[in-house]
Amino acid sequence: MRIGVYVCHCGLNIAGVLEPDILTEFAKTLPGVEVARDLQFTCSDTGQETIKEDIKEHKLESIVVAACSPRLHEPTFRRVVSEAGMNPFMLEMANIREQCSWVHMDEPPQAQEKAKDLIRMAVAKAALLNPLTGETMPVSREVLVIGGGVAGIQAALDLADCGLHVYLVERRPTIGGYMALLTDVFPTNDCSICVLAPKMTDVYNHPLITLVTYAEILNVDGSVGRFTVSGVKKARFVDEKLCKGCLNECAGVCPVEVPDDYEFGLGKRKAIFMPIPQAVPLVACIDPESCIGCGLCAEACPVDAVKYDQKQEDFRFDVGAIIVATGWQSFDPARKEEYGYGRYRDVISALQIERLLNAAGPTGGEVVRPSTGDVAKSVAFLQCVGSRDETVGNPYCSRVCCMYALKNAQLIKEKYPEAEVSIHYIDLRAGGEGYEEFYIRAQRLGINFIRGRVSEVEEVDGALRVNYEDTLLGGFRSKPYDLVVLSAGLEANRDADVVGNLLGLSKRPDGFFEIAHPKMRPVEAHIDGVFIAGCASGPKEIQVSIAQGEAAASKAMGLLVRGELALDPVVAVVDSEKCIGCKLCVETCPSMAISVNGTALVDEAACKGCGTCAAACPVDAIGMTLFSDEQILAQIHAATAVKGQYPFIVGFLCNWCSYAGADLAGTSRIQYPTNMRAIRVMCAGRVDPAFVIEALKGGADGVLISGCRLGECHYSKGNYQAYQRVQVLKGVLEKVGINPGRVKIVWCAASEGEILAKEVRKFVRELEEMGPVGTELAPPGSPQPSGGGS
Amino acid sequence: MTQIAKTENMAMAAKEIATRTRTAEGEKFRERVLALAGEDVKTCIQCGTCSASCPTAHLMDTPIRKLVKLVLEGEKEEALSSRSIWLCTSCLLCTVRCPRNIRPMAVVAALKTIYEEEGNRCKDSVFEGIFGRQIRDYGRISEFLLSAEYMIRSPSSAAQIMAFGAELVPKGKIELAFDAAKGERIEGTEEVRRIFELLGDEGKSKKTEETEEATI
Ligand SMILES: Cc1cc2nc3c(=O)[nH]c(=O)nc-3n(C[C@H](O)[C@H](O)[C@H](O)COP(=O)(O)OP(=O)(O)OC[C@H]3O[C@@H](n4cnc5c(N)ncnc54)[C@H](O)[C@@H]3O)c2cc1C
Ligand code: SF4
Repeated sequence: MRIGVYVCHCGLNIAGVLEPDILTEFAKTLPGVEVARDLQFTCSDTGQETIKEDIKEHKLESIVVAACSPRLHEPTFRRVVSEAGMNPFMLEMANIREQCSWVHMDEPPQAQEKAKDLIRMAVAKAALLNPLTGETMPVSREVLVIGGGVAGIQAALDLADCGLHVYLVERRPTIGGYMALLTDVFPTNDCSICVLAPKMTDVYNHPLITLVTYAEILNVDGSVGRFTVSGVKKARFVDEKLCKGCLNECAGVCPVEVPDDYEFGLGKRKAIFMPIPQAVPLVACIDPESCIGCGLCAEACPVDAVKYDQKQEDFRFDVGAIIVATGWQSFDPARKEEYGYGRYRDVISALQIERLLNAAGPTGGEVVRPSTGDVAKSVAFLQCVGSRDETVGNPYCSRVCCMYALKNAQLIKEKYPEAEVSIHYIDLRAGGEGYEEFYIRAQRLGINFIRGRVSEVEEVDGALRVNYEDTLLGGFRSKPYDLVVLSAGLEANRDADVVGNLLGLSKRPDGFFEIAHPKMRPVEAHIDGVFIAGCASGPKEIQVSIAQGEAAASKAMGLLVRGELALDPVVAVVDSEKCIGCKLCVETCPSMAISVNGTALVDEAACKGCGTCAAACPVDAIGMTLFSDEQILAQIHAATAVKGQYPFIVGFLCNWCSYAGADLAGTSRIQYPTNMRAIRVMCAGRVDPAFVIEALKGGADGVLISGCRLGECHYSKGNYQAYQRVQVLKGVLEKVGINPGRVKIVWCAASEGEILAKEVRKFVRELEEMGPVGTELAPPGSPQPSGGGS
Repeated sequence: MTQIAKTENMAMAAKEIATRTRTAEGEKFRERVLALAGEDVKTCIQCGTCSASCPTAHLMDTPIRKLVKLVLEGEKEEALSSRSIWLCTSCLLCTVRCPRNIRPMAVVAALKTIYEEEGNRCKDSVFEGIFGRQIRDYGRISEFLLSAEYMIRSPSSAAQIMAFGAELVPKGKIELAFDAAKGERIEGTEEVRRIFELLGDEGKSKKTEETEEATI
């Protein structure tokens, strides 16, 4: 390999501490180096031109730039070399500014030695670089949206309006989700179905949306750009094409009545039913559980749409991206036994009051006591039922209950000004545009606000009593009410569990699907090409659910709109000769990119190049196209070749957090000892225990591995794997008599330059106490001191 | 009082409150309670579920919820002087229901412990002493003798619970039968006495020979 080395002065930033000319002379002595120069500003036009001319004149095959951090100028120099006709991946940088001259300003001689090592390491890696090409892959421009609540509806409409074909799969017989069942909705108190129904019909009529209702997804294969999804569409026993949605005829004659789950048990429906009057599609459905097969509906139907012999149908489509909008489910208020739901008829749930207030609901909009059918004269709303409650395992706030209680209290008060309406709350949370104003409106209407969580609801002589401490006034109270409404929280939808497992989505401790970053990537899943919108990723109101549907649609569009995907060439590759098909890598991969069919197969489109699998493979059958075993081992050997300092540390820093943290230490001029030679890896999980052993064998006194803080790994869980491997490794070292303290794993965020510096300082001190590597193998007075290494 | 004097007074009071920061003593107290009852106590949201669930809440001067807050604010004196801590029956309803998985009962227990650690005699100690000694001597208690002795030793406390006791009589919870007064024993009182000796509780029952009034 013909290598060119360029040592940058960076004005005095580097040259003020190091001596670039001497470093250049040193570089010339390294194997493979054809040209070495020191340049004032390598990134300047002159610097760039020099490199380009050298590449042509000296027929260079790979380039080392010893300058600033690759996180800053690697893209620049990749462009420079490719402009000179070289593959952009034939470049390696030695970070002698952020991680050398800027952090060792008081120790120029040691810094100079370290810079030499860094250059030797970079040249060693440069000699082993391979040209890589980022391939493009044709992708399907169709999208699957799972869940037809308001979030899924919005996503489907936006995508279809942009010309992408959408499959919208809904589990229930109609789309609309919970929003279709609510009464007026905050913060504007407009009728929920009135604003939703037009969108539902748009979905039905859109030429680019294939709506599949009453369906279940049963399998998902493939990865970003080319998922294959299959499932079944359940039998409705009514022909969708024939049914006119009149309902009167069939349901009118059906003799079976059962509780209506769309009314949350408050009303009844027939065995043949229409879920809601605005159902989309507007097709009746027979519930096989309650149908007695009397045949009356089939006789009554004027268009012969009833088909008792209808079978479920399979479906299958290929899509490029998937949006999960599976929504939420209500906390079961009966679980809070002290509130008497299910025991006292006049204790009802929030969803039930939504139906009672709904003009299309079971009482035509009258708020009545279920026990008597009389209008309720006093109503209590009990907040935080199943939210903020460790005793039921839901420590989180459900975010919308304060607002919907304020809303329903207002609606009752407006309808029945004489009614006494109270909200029993712990904290009232009304954060959102116009929400505090909404709260003030409720106060003006004369709603009582009582601060104190209700301890129990009792029935005394047929009347409900609510017990609580008024925590603002102090003291126990017991207050009678006609109707008690439990503001039950929102939970992760169990109906989505299967879909979540098929897609490999992770769940947060609260049970909702986890997004790729809790703040910066609000609608992306950890899996490429999968997006999450609405309450599937946590409780939220309609406005935010819609916003997320739109965001997910735009993300999916950005991914697929060109019809092809540029693949990152930094990926894992399997040597099928060596692979024993043990599947360890399948479990290790955070991106679900590996499948095993005899031997392992990496899906290049899904692989993100973290390299955790390569470190995990027990037979070294997985390699990486960049950051390969050979390259990293070459860097380790080059680092330990001279060992000009004691204690001598080899470091492995993850690109996203720790390497960035080390760079920050540089830009902040935080000084730390010169003892470490850092090797950049994409993830702490890339660090194969063999690397550590190789470093110790080579004479390093200690090895420092630094990854993102736990829970913050760029690849979701690589740092946990690194931690586990280090623990195992420490055990092994201890067995062979090496002090396990020589291997240290630390967590450092990109913002924590100080932490990295501190850890290096501390480690140096610890290693000084331990003595040079191998001291522990030859205890004083032992007759036969054994050699170094394992 | 003139308007000016009034305003001045108010300003003084306001200043006193404003400058009332947690003292070192208060801080120590808070840490001690947290050590005994668990760090989780810090996560209290003052919802009042504990006080609203408490079966003796109507007898308490300070709701349990407020005791938790007093602890967190390091208000040692107010917390320790509350009658509520001696009314807790350890039924644990607060602890079962607390939505933050705090153990409010443990806070109350911690307050009792600290009260005694400070060298104070627990308000129930007279009662406990009589109770313990009866068990030691007879292997059982006699409500009649117990009430009688309590009335003599600690008339003020006894008076407080008289009404409560009176309610229990018709329910058959307090036996007024005189064979109990004769000091009926269970079999094996010797063993019971030995248990007491082994546990070294002699001192405690001796202590109660004094009257409550003397220790206030
Ligand atoms: C009592 C109450 C009152 C409320 N009032 C208001 C209000 O006034 N204003 C407001 O802004 N918000 C309100 N909300 C919140 C509102 O309900 C949600 O914001 C909204 O429902 C979220 O929509 P979504 O699409 O995310 O979920 P959902 O409405 O739950 O829709 C999810 C859809 O996905 C389907 N699905 C689930 N699993 C699968 C699967 N495996 N395969 C296929 N399909 C699946 C479901 O059947 C459903 O149709 C209220 C909530 C409650 C509890
Ligand atoms: S129940 Fe728990 S959270 Fe609520 S006030 Fe009592 S201790 Fe605090």
